[in-house]
This record gives sequence, C-alpha cells and structure tokens, in this order.
Amino acid sequence: MTEQLKKTPLNKIHHELKARMMDFAGWELPVWYTSILEEHRTVRSAAGTFDVSDMGRVWVTGKNAGAFLDRVLTRRAQTLDVGASKLCMLCLEDGGILDDLWAYRVGADRYLIVWNASHIEEKMAWLRRWAGPDRDIVIRDKSAATVMVAVQGPAVCQLQNLKGVCHLARFGNAETRIGDMEVLVARTGYTGEDGFEIISDVANARKLWESFTGQGVKPCGLGARDTLRMEAGMMLCGQDMDKSTNPFEADLGWLVEMDGDFIGKSALLEIKHRGIKRKHVGIRMTGQGIARSGYKIVKSGKEVGWVTSGGYAPTLNANIGFGYVPIELAAIGTKIDVIIRDKPVAAEVARRQFYKRGA
Amino acid sequence: MTPKDYKFTSEHEWIHPESGNRGKVGLADYAQTQLGDIVFLDLPAAGTQVTQGKKLGEVESVKAVSDIFAPASGKVLEVNQSVVDEPKLVNEDPYGAGWLVRVELSKPAELNNLMDNAKYDKFVAELTEKQSE
Repeated sequence: MTEQLKKTPLNKIHHELKARMMDFAGWELPVWYTSILEEHRTVRSAAGTFDVSDMGRVWVTGKNAGAFLDRVLTRRAQTLDVGASKLCMLCLEDGGILDDLWAYRVGADRYLIVWNASHIEEKMAWLRRWAGPDRDIVIRDKSAATVMVAVQGPAVCQLQNLKGVCHLARFGNAETRIGDMEVLVARTGYTGEDGFEIISDVANARKLWESFTGQGVKPCGLGARDTLRMEAGMMLCGQDMDKSTNPFEADLGWLVEMDGDFIGKSALLEIKHRGIKRKHVGIRMTGQGIARSGYKIVKSGKEVGWVTSGGYAPTLNANIGFGYVPIELAAIGTKIDVIIRDKPVAAEVARRQFYKRGA
Repeated sequence: MTPKDYKFTSEHEWIHPESGNRGKVGLADYAQTQLGDIVFLDLPAAGTQVTQGKKLGEVESVKAVSDIFAPASGKVLEVNQSVVDEPKLVNEDPYGAGWLVRVELSKPAELNNLMDNAKYDKFVAELTEKQSE
C-alpha cells in the first residue's frame, strides 16, 4: 500500500530523520519527528519547519485571471494589491464549500492559489469548467515542480536567511531569493504564529529545508500542524467543513464578500437572509476526556451535533475541539456533552480561537 | 532490552507478577513509541474485574486513541494515580513509574499464555523489521 502514496520532494529527508510517517490525503508525510508536544511547543516558543508540499500550488495567469478568480472565489482577488494575499473559499453553486484556499496576487495578472491536498482533480476540473475556453485565463498546477516549506514561530525573523523578508506585511508575498534560491515567500501560515510559507523549485528542496534546520529550526510534522491550527481556531477543509456545509454555518461569513457576481452568491445570499440552523463552534472539555472528530454532541441526552476536530491542546493544557451545534446552543458557555466511549462527558461551547499570539 | 520477570501480550501490555498472586500492569516501550506523546488514560476503578485479552481501558496520545487489554484476569486493586495525573510517565518510564494498575490475579496460570521478555523482544524485532521494509 505504501507504494501508492505520493511522496513530497522532502520525503527522503523525513526518512533520514526517522520521522513517523502516515498517510495524509494520499501523501506519505511525517506525523512527528521526535514528539508532537515538543514540536508544538517549539513553534509556540521559537521556530519550526514543516513540509507542506502536499498542498496544491496552482498559478492562474493572463489578462482575465483576476476577473476569473473574482468569479470563482467568495472574495475579490482583483482588489488585492500586488504582493498581498487573502484567504478565500471555493464554493459550489449551492453554497457548499469545495475548499478554502489562499489567493496570492504575485503580479498584475499573476495569481497563485494554494489549496488543500485533497480532491485536487475535482477542484482543477471545477476551475477549468468556469474558465472555459478563454485563452486569457491560464491555469497551471505547478505542485509537482515545486517544494513548499512553512517556517513558523516567534523567532522566524531572527533566522539569518529570513531577515531579508521580514519587512513583508502580514499576508504579504514577494518573489525574492533566499541565499541563491529563487523563491516565492508569503507571510502566512497555519499555526497562529508569525511565519512564512516558502515555495521554490523542486531542485532546491533539500537545500531550502536544510537552510532552516541547519540554523536549528526544528522539523515539525502533521501532528503539531494539527494541534497548532486547532488552538489557533483554524479550519481544516474536509474535516471541519465540506460540500455539505456552507461558510455561514462554518462561521466563516467574513470570507464571503457579497460584492460582484460569484459562483454560489445567490445561494449564499439566501442562506444569509434565511439564517442558519447550525453553527460551527469551539468546544472546551470540562469533564475528563478528549473529544475526537466524529464524536456525537448531546444536550440533555439528545443528540444535537458532532465534533469535527478535537484533541489535546498543549499550550492550554486542556482538551479542546470544534463541532457543529444547533444555533440555539451556539452561545459561548453553553453546556453540552460529548459522547466519549458511550458516556457523556461535560463540555462547553467556547470561542473557536483558543489561542491568540501575544495574548 | 525489556525487563526480566515481566510477561507480555502481543498487544504490548506487560504484567509484572508480585508475591501473593498480584501483578502490576503497564504498556510496553514499543506501545508508547508507537503512540507518541500520551495525554490521557482511561483506567478502571479499583474493584473492577478484568479478563485476560479483554479491554481494560484506553490510552490516548495526542494523535490517537487505543485500547488497553488486560494481560491477565482478576480484580483491580489499585490505580496508579501518578500516571493518571501525568500520563507522560508512560512515555518516560513505561516499565517503572508508568505502570497503570495493580491486579489481584484470579487465574495465575494464565500468565503461561504470555511471552517472556526474550520471546517478546524477538516478537518486537520482527515487527520493527516488517515496518522498515
């Protein structure tokens, strides 16, 4: 089975480092190198590096690229300045969430989208369908030709080779060099810390990775990637939201800009007008137990929702999670139970962003 | 090397027989390595009857939930409160401070169904070999 898993350009390094590997969306990726907790804490206190090459990197270029993205995304790409980026959604006509993605405006008519590793073919087909035969919209999946590394943590700007990009604003991006490597750098991430995501030619994979680990930056795996993003209240598409949920239920209404005409707009307008019946919320366990994805949420013995993500939060030393509950139970502090091993365990609805840097 | 006098299950639990037909139960080093950072243990209260090969409790690492099976039948005499309060003891000292429960054996002869440390080491070596293929 292992043979069928896709390997990132850094796969060999992960094995050299004796990382524990796992299947993530069809990719063989490290779940941890030494310990999830150690890796998590290092990112909160210093800096860690992640192989995020599993994420898709798709260039959308041409005279009509901006107008096209405005049509398929829930936020307007053309309002971005060159060198700026924003988190957007790709919604279906009925408002269901196909994916969330980062749109980077790299040049006037050059955009890069970075999206999740899953359902790449479906998403590419979706883009191509709406692009149609327009020759002024060029869509190129450059994922296989590139490597992508995230360097995250409060100490990133103390790293010698990142000093040159520390002028970048939050969510800013630039085509520049790190050492002699041509890179695209963005001040984005998925950990709740300051940090950068760096894309370069696949030939630079080892050199780029070791330019950070050589300075003592700790390699971090998917385990820490998950606990860090959960603490920071960040969503994982396919787990916390999918085609059966819409951005308002997912409490991501701020990612929907109702100006312009975009796919899913009329459905989303109606949903907004009608109001939502369920909402994605943070969950803090008050009883003894860890909520996990798929566990049931009950109120007074009646099943009312489900956990979408859950686990131990190292920074908080608490057990937290996310889940969908009926709108009338969505207020912060509402007492609920999570069914853990057939027993109800006390929990309460909490602010989804459990951790805020500098707070 | 695993400690002498300990007996092991193929699910990587151990029991260390003590005088008076008692035994301490814990998780083997291999189990804690596989699980990674352990953050929660769900163990039976003192007085609970457990049965060899049947579920005794659960262990949760940051990443996953796993069943713990009883290496022998009997009554739980004592739960290691230190490990409940600080589950990482299982990672740090699986054969010592990381023990889970003490059991009064109802069928001491069952221990013959378990592997001794030499046999268990061989068993783990074979597993590890398979994984690295």
